[in-house]
Amino acid sequence: MANELLSVPVAAATAAVGAAAVAMAVRRVRLTAADQRSPLMGVLGAFIFAAQMINFTLPGLPGTSGHLGGGVLLAILLGPAVGIVTMAAILIVQCLLFQDGGLLALGCNLINMGVVPCLLGWAIYHGVAGGAEKVRAWRQYLAAWLACVVGVTAGAALVPFESAASGVLQVPLSQFLGLMLGVHLVIGFCEGAITFAVIAYLRRVRPELLGLDPDEGSSASSGPGYVAVAASVLVTALLLAGVISWFASSCPDGLEWSYRELRPAAGDRAIQNQSPLVAAVERWQQRWSPMTDYTRRTSPLGQLPVEASEAASQAASAWARPDGWRSLAGVLGTLLTLGVLAGLARWTRRTPAAVLRK
Amino acid sequence: MHHHFIDRFAMEDSPIHRLDARVKLLAVLSYTVVLISFDRYAVAELAPMAVLPLGLLWFGRVPVWFALRRVAILSPLILMLVLMSPLYDRGLHPVAFGPWQYAVSGGWLTAADIAAKFTLGVLALTALMCTTPFASLLEAMRRLGMPQVIVLQLGFLYRYLFVLIDEAMRVRRARDFRGAALAPMGRRLAATGGVIGSLFSRTLDRSQRTQLAMALRGYRGETRSLKRLHFHRSDAVYFALVAAYLVVCRCWYPSWF
Repeated sequence: MANELLSVPVAAATAAVGAAAVAMAVRRVRLTAADQRSPLMGVLGAFIFAAQMINFTLPGLPGTSGHLGGGVLLAILLGPAVGIVTMAAILIVQCLLFQDGGLLALGCNLINMGVVPCLLGWAIYHGVAGGAEKVRAWRQYLAAWLACVVGVTAGAALVPFESAASGVLQVPLSQFLGLMLGVHLVIGFCEGAITFAVIAYLRRVRPELLGLDPDEGSSASSGPGYVAVAASVLVTALLLAGVISWFASSCPDGLEWSYRELRPAAGDRAIQNQSPLVAAVERWQQRWSPMTDYTRRTSPLGQLPVEASEAASQAASAWARPDGWRSLAGVLGTLLTLGVLAGLARWTRRTPAAVLRK
Repeated sequence: MHHHFIDRFAMEDSPIHRLDARVKLLAVLSYTVVLISFDRYAVAELAPMAVLPLGLLWFGRVPVWFALRRVAILSPLILMLVLMSPLYDRGLHPVAFGPWQYAVSGGWLTAADIAAKFTLGVLALTALMCTTPFASLLEAMRRLGMPQVIVLQLGFLYRYLFVLIDEAMRVRRARDFRGAALAPMGRRLAATGGVIGSLFSRTLDRSQRTQLAMALRGYRGETRSLKRLHFHRSDAVYFALVAAYLVVCRCWYPSWF
């Protein structure tokens, strides 16, 4: 979040809320200060910065790498109050020392990246993993994954609302929200995987840090199990497809708009293609594709669709409509794409890693 | 150690460096408030606002290319939003430059406005950080009423930031030399988890040792520092100048522009 996306009243209001939340967290840490686990949270903040240096390449996406975001892991390990205070220190240093995130946006960033992920992530992790005494690895994995996905995404979803309340940005709220949700679902997924790996390691090596009996902690050292991993991958992809199609369908996207609406002085479309072959292919596609333009057909299969009236589509673009058919189309498309990708991966099996393993 | 990478100019000496940290912090804060209070179509009106950050950089003997490189490093995310805005706000706005008059779409005006505000805001913050040591800034925050606990955490974060980053980079190099990039996904994730986990437990141990050492040396919850901030006449002059400049920029920007 940057200064420029906020107005002064919104910045002041969020700063007040963020400061109040940090003050409460500080009080809470003080009350439990006898606990020797969290003496100097600033050092933990430095740890989060350092842990972000340790990245690892993502599968299937060459050139990109994932790294830890931070807040949720600290909240799970040391409680939400310590997490919030540490994130406050991190965000202030990030703003001042690295000029990343504006001075006046500090309140917003505190809420989006500190308070919301820490509280939600902590609650969800302990809700799903249950009592920390005996928890199976797959359940722990699902808990970490859910905590990170929900915590990170919920915090990021606040950004469009804050900038919309400021009235600075003219990008429609639904588009911005769809973008933020999509990107942060992926980030939350990666963060969940790393968070699980860290917690699993600490469980095995230093169970007393997690409040476990040192003699019993080593039981959960195995992997999370393929079913749990596959389920989390699938649910993330489905959420991604559902959310993005839900919001992206409300208005035509930038490219589509640029050739549909940008009429030059001649009063015609910017892109023209008179070739009979293109027209024939388009007609054939409209006649036979089961879900034209990501929604249900209005005409029976095999006939050309009736042109929708311009006024109806204008009215529809005001806000993302919860159109179940569009979401279904997105989900089905994702399943199909996943199938094709899996087939391709099987076909191009001879990666360097496979060679090395032989 | 990479200690002096970001704030390597903060330890030098210049008239700006010698100003009171409290005054400098308050000046940059009020500058930022005025900056974002401009209308979203304001572009030419922002031109006089460039005087303060550039002046601070110039008199603080900080190379302008260094500050501009910070802007470039930080720009990708904001650039994406800037490029999105011309697509949506297509109402036309009259723009006049001397005798020339144009009609420009609101989206492009907003894009230019956001980019300008971003650049100026980052330049002002960079100017502050490059002319003020972090320790003085912390003392200034404490004297301005920031809670003691937060100031202490910030101090420790700054103190250990570069120590731990060095350690993390060492461990990462060791992991990569052992061929972690070629391992299957599960192993790679487990290796990353192990590296971060061991870093975490070592950090906790380190902070406990530090805590004990501080307690043994008589730490009882407040820090005592030999660093004193002094408010000179030059500080008062500087603050009055900045306040007058901001008021002029905001209320009386030249309408003939």
